[in-house]
Order: sequence, then C-alpha cells, then structure tokens
Amino acid sequence: MRNFDYLEPVTVAEACALLKQHAGEAKVFAGGSHLTILMKQGLYQPKTLINIKKISQLRGIEYDNAEGLIIGALVTHREIETSALVREKFPVLSEAEREVANIRVRNMGTVGGNLASGEPLTDLSQIFISLDGKAKISGPGGQRTIPVEELFVDFYTTSLAEDEILTHVVLPPLPPRSGIEYIRFSSSSVVDKPSAGVAVRLTLDGGAKTIQAARIVLGCVGATPVRARKAEALMSGKKLTAELAEEAGSIAAQECSPTSDLRGSEQYKRAIVRILVKRAAVKAYERATST
Amino acid sequence: MKKSILIKINGTERHADVEPRTTLLEMVREQFNLTGAKLGCDIQVCGACTLLLDGKPVSACSVLAVDTDGCEVLTIEGLGQNNALHPLQEAFMEFGALQCGYCTSGFILTAKALLDEVPQPTDEQIRDYLAGNFCRCGCYQEIMQAIRNVTKTS
Repeated sequence: MRNFDYLEPVTVAEACALLKQHAGEAKVFAGGSHLTILMKQGLYQPKTLINIKKISQLRGIEYDNAEGLIIGALVTHREIETSALVREKFPVLSEAEREVANIRVRNMGTVGGNLASGEPLTDLSQIFISLDGKAKISGPGGQRTIPVEELFVDFYTTSLAEDEILTHVVLPPLPPRSGIEYIRFSSSSVVDKPSAGVAVRLTLDGGAKTIQAARIVLGCVGATPVRARKAEALMSGKKLTAELAEEAGSIAAQECSPTSDLRGSEQYKRAIVRILVKRAAVKAYERATST
Repeated sequence: MKKSILIKINGTERHADVEPRTTLLEMVREQFNLTGAKLGCDIQVCGACTLLLDGKPVSACSVLAVDTDGCEVLTIEGLGQNNALHPLQEAFMEFGALQCGYCTSGFILTAKALLDEVPQPTDEQIRDYLAGNFCRCGCYQEIMQAIRNVTKTS
C-alpha cells in the first residue's frame, strides 16, 4: 500500500471542507472493508484518507413515524443484522444481512461504504431501492436527498460529488398491505458475493388484492442495481397468479445486463434472475395478503 | 508521517508508532511479535488473520492500525489465562481440530467471540458464525466437535 495522509474530522462540515480542499486526491474512509483491498492492490492510491468514523452524527439507527427508518452511514452490517428495531420494522434487512460476506466484514463494513463504493455485487442497494429508500447527502453547499436508485451511475461510480458525503439512508414506512422478499444466489460458497440478488416489493389495493405498486430490483447483474420496470408494469393492477409471476420473471431477465464471469455466464445469470423474480414475487404477494 | 496510537493488546496498554498504511496485522506481528494470526488471502475472505477488536472478529489484514487507536485487541497469545490454555484451545487439541494450524488462531478467536455472544449456540449458529473461516486441511467436523464440547462443559 502506498502511504497517505490520514485525517479524522469530527463533523460532517469539517469532512466536506477537507474533501473540497483535497479535491480529487482524497478518499472517504469508514469501515475500510472495500477501500483497503483496493488500496493494497494499487487500484486506489489516494494522497489523503479522510476517516469519518469520529463523526458521531453518522451513527445509529432510529425510527421516526413520519420519515421511517433512518440509518446512519456508519452503521455496520452487523448492527443492521442484530438491531431489534430493524427486525421489527424491516425484517427483510435482518435476514439479508445474515448472508452478507462473513462475520468479520459485517463487523467492519458500513452501510455508507456499501453504497458509496458503487460496488455492484452487493445486497443492500436492491432492498433499499425496492423500499423507495432515500439517500441523504451533505456537501459544502448544504444537504440534498435523492432516491437511493439515483446514487448509482456505473461500476464503482456514484452520483456523489467529490466533496460530498452520504450521511443517512431513510426507508419510508411500508404502506399498508405491502410484502417484500429478497433472495440472493451465490454460485460458489455461501460467503461469496452473490451472482444475482433480487428484491421484490408488492403493495396491494384495499379490497380486490390487486397489485397497486410493484418494485422489482435486480442486483449484481449489471453495472448498477436496476429496476425491472417492464415487469413491474406488467404486474400493476393484477392479482398475482403463478403464470403472472412466471411471465414477470421472464421479462425481468431481459431487463438486466449481466456479464459472464466466475460467478456464472450471462445466460446462467439471466436464468437465475428469472427464477428469483418468480419466487420473490410469490413470497412478497403472500406476505402482502397476510398483513 | 507516523502516528502515535494507544491500544490495549491482550490486556496491556501499549503505545505504537505506525504509518497510516500499516495494517493491524502488520503491527501485531512485526511490532509486538504476536505471530499467531497469519496473513492468508489478504482480502478478508479466509479468516487466517482474524483478531478480536473490542471483542468482535475482524480481518486484521484489512484494518488500518491507526484506526484502532483507543481499542482493545485480543490475539490468540492473550486468550489463555494464568499459564493455562483456554478451554477452546484444549478442545481443539483433544478433538484434533487442526492439522497444519495456519487457520487455527482465527477459528479459535472467532469461536470465542461467538461463545461470548451466544453461550449455548446451535450447530446452525456455529456454522453461520464460522462460515467465513477456511480450513484447507478440512478439519471442519473436528472443529464443530471441539466447539460443541466446550459449550457442553461450560
């Protein structure tokens, strides 16, 4: 690893000012589970590392009845996995986290780093997008809030400016009659990154149990997580049947752009997406109808 | 430029001067001569470098030493007390839960963290918690037996 300067701001404003001052030559550091690997491999050689772990404002998980679940950027995977609040409000996250990497990575890796790294082979982004999650961002000019979906631009590239920091993820309260399911599939060992991860959230209307809103989010099968909007549109206004779930899976499998690699060929991953969408839709519908 | 940090290693407060790029693993091995933890994959996959940082397993190969300022670190050398081995160490020997030993300190420290959290884990909980530690000699069954045995007798 090349050497670097190491700074530890204690406020968001201070961190953003430092990022502005070291524009283009600094990296934001938190858990380090992503960054240290890339630095050891020489892929990143920042002149300055800005460790934001001393910024207490970025810690903690809270629930606000109006805003929803507010997750600080420094919250670790393990904190999400073991949080009673998360388990009560969004058990899908607690379950998903059990399968993220291994216990050591979950102890160090943070939610903020997971998203801001722009790493495409992850789990949380799909779930956040399916829940209409929002990202709170701070920069020298102030704060802004965007849908989590709009964070992702390309492989390892986000819409965060050089002097901005992702501060919180906000998951709005689930509308009534909603059900969600996330399924990840690893083609080698359970602790490997997924070859595909699919989140489906369905919200039904009051009486007829038809689908009012569908979110189908495909992860790890493209440069960024992507919504299968055609499959979502297909489901809208209908009751879920086995045929509809099957058809949605087939359409969704064409709405992603997986690359052939050690975790499977393009064709293989599309086949996995087709099946995962089908299964997740059935489970999400089941949950939505039983609430 | 080197930074001065203060950490508690195996119960004793120690100062260290480290470059920002120095990893926790490099520091404990090279500055404190605690060589039980090994460098394996170097990408947080194999678990050979596992140390307990404030009681939690981490991949010391990918933690910056400067980032551990003020923390407590437990290495395998600090696990036994009063010149006696820890029950997990005894059990690993009794059940032959190692061959080459390269992964052993990582397995034992991870198992210790598990038992601190969940004193009577189910087999599934043990497997989930240890899924990220690899033993290339393939002593997994013996490792399971050793950990089970400690939970029974504790």
